[in-house]
Amino acid sequence: MAATVSAEERRAPAAATARRNRRRRLGDRLVGWALGTVTALVFLALYAPILIVFLLSFFRLRRGKVVWDSFSLDWYVDLFANAQIGEALVNSLVVGFVSVFAAIVMAMAIAFWVDARPTSRAAGAIQFVVFLPFLLPPIITGLSLLIGFKEVGISRGLATVMVGHTVFVLAMVYRTILTRLQSLSKSLVEASLDLGATRLQTFRYVLLPNLRMAVVTAALLAFALSFDETMITLFLVGDTSTLPVRLYAMMRVGFTPEINALVTLILVFSIVLTLAIARVVGGRAEDLSV
Amino acid sequence: MTALDPGRDGVPAGGGRGPGLPEPALKAAWAAVVWGLPAVVILAPLAAFLVYAFWYTDGPQVVRDFTLRNFVTFVENDSYTRVFLKTLGLAVQVMLVNLALGYAVAYQLWRMPARWRYTLVLALAVPLLMSYIIKIYAMRGVLGTNGIINATLVFLGVIEEPLGVFLFNLTAVRITLSVVLLPFMALPIFVALEKIPATLLQASDDLGATRWQTFRNVVLPLSLPGATIGAMFTFVLAVGDFLAPELVGGVQGFTYGRLVFSQFGMAFNWPFGAALSVVLLGVALVVIVVAARAGSPKWQRP
Repeated sequence: MAATVSAEERRAPAAATARRNRRRRLGDRLVGWALGTVTALVFLALYAPILIVFLLSFFRLRRGKVVWDSFSLDWYVDLFANAQIGEALVNSLVVGFVSVFAAIVMAMAIAFWVDARPTSRAAGAIQFVVFLPFLLPPIITGLSLLIGFKEVGISRGLATVMVGHTVFVLAMVYRTILTRLQSLSKSLVEASLDLGATRLQTFRYVLLPNLRMAVVTAALLAFALSFDETMITLFLVGDTSTLPVRLYAMMRVGFTPEINALVTLILVFSIVLTLAIARVVGGRAEDLSV
Repeated sequence: MTALDPGRDGVPAGGGRGPGLPEPALKAAWAAVVWGLPAVVILAPLAAFLVYAFWYTDGPQVVRDFTLRNFVTFVENDSYTRVFLKTLGLAVQVMLVNLALGYAVAYQLWRMPARWRYTLVLALAVPLLMSYIIKIYAMRGVLGTNGIINATLVFLGVIEEPLGVFLFNLTAVRITLSVVLLPFMALPIFVALEKIPATLLQASDDLGATRWQTFRNVVLPLSLPGATIGAMFTFVLAVGDFLAPELVGGVQGFTYGRLVFSQFGMAFNWPFGAALSVVLLGVALVVIVVAARAGSPKWQRP
């Protein structure tokens, strides 16, 4: 048996190899097509819904079809006349700024502390605590804070939302700052101290400039997270509302066409923020490669 | 930021001229921020929530007495356990579907030329920065009676009139969660694939392995940690979610997350809501621990 095969192989080795290769290439191509199709469909599923909302903020629908000559900015006009939405937007911005600032201060303090004792158990423990609100389902972070605030007699409002958002974005900010801090050479600090700088001066003139990009990246990302946070916020917001909470209320009531206009504006804002982040991160990558 | 940084431990004391304030005081204040703040804003609320789960309500009043009655109610009441099991099933289904789709997408992007690869990875990450609630809402435009699915079916002549069957049921929740959570699955897998050294693939190829053999014996094992992390994220986020079920699930899509949330709203039974969440927390912790173990293969563990 084996002799026959090898004889045949000897007679036409090139042909057999070619045949095998052809079969393999066909298989590869089929797999490639399948993967490509799945990928295209997934991207379609990710972006088509958003495109529809975008279209519906300008056009009207009739029997499931977009009526192309119905273009109008009516929904946007309605939106700007809605005082509640303006108030919610201001609340969202204020909450974002305050919690991002608080998270950066906390994350820096913790990152410096952990970086100074990389192998200690205490550092591991504190990291675990910082990551908890990020890893646990948001519903648990939200209701924990709700119960905690009630027990100490703090009533719900923007202040409680700020605490919730600080806790939620802390892990991400901490991770970004720590990664940069750990990549800095220890000799930078030693040199500064040897040259007679105080520790405060070393922090101000050596460490802070080196961390600036990490802080900006973390701040932008954290702001985006805070601006969209809904699940924790719903537990802590009380009578006021942030933009996503306002949206949630509008969506639950039913269909109001202004929602599409508002959603479009928020998406544009998110995309601008994303591009800003990409620029900052991209800029840093160039810095490193030089 | 703060003046609390007294430098690093481990730096030789040679440069230790103090910044004006006595160093021990600074150190104490710093440690207080590092330990105190997280303890107050993260650990204390979690502790309060755990304690609440063992109290109970008498009318509108919370009775501060240790009891297991919340858990007994949960276990003995068929409708609660049914919602719980239904939600676990839902989260597992979403996780498995996304594991398959996420892996396919990550693998496809990884094989692309670098120019395309990073643009598309960015396109995969962009939805993560879009509002969660907006993405859920947008799915209504796909699944609703005016949505693209209905419009396409009417256009193709499969149906005469738009159908209401695509929205406000459990399938709508499945589809919505899968779409919304997909980047959480695909991105960690892509990162894991990117970490595989090209030399390994070349070696496998040079030694005569077919593409499939290389995939099966080299690529797949090395990308499993990423897949595990992605699966963990997807499961934990899906099992506790209440926004997607609320907005696209209708009555049929009443999930465990909604049950918990309703205890803090309409039902107004915080201790019972806390107890239900303890169960949820238990599930989440088991999944996180299993994923952390499986996500760091034996040869990488310290």
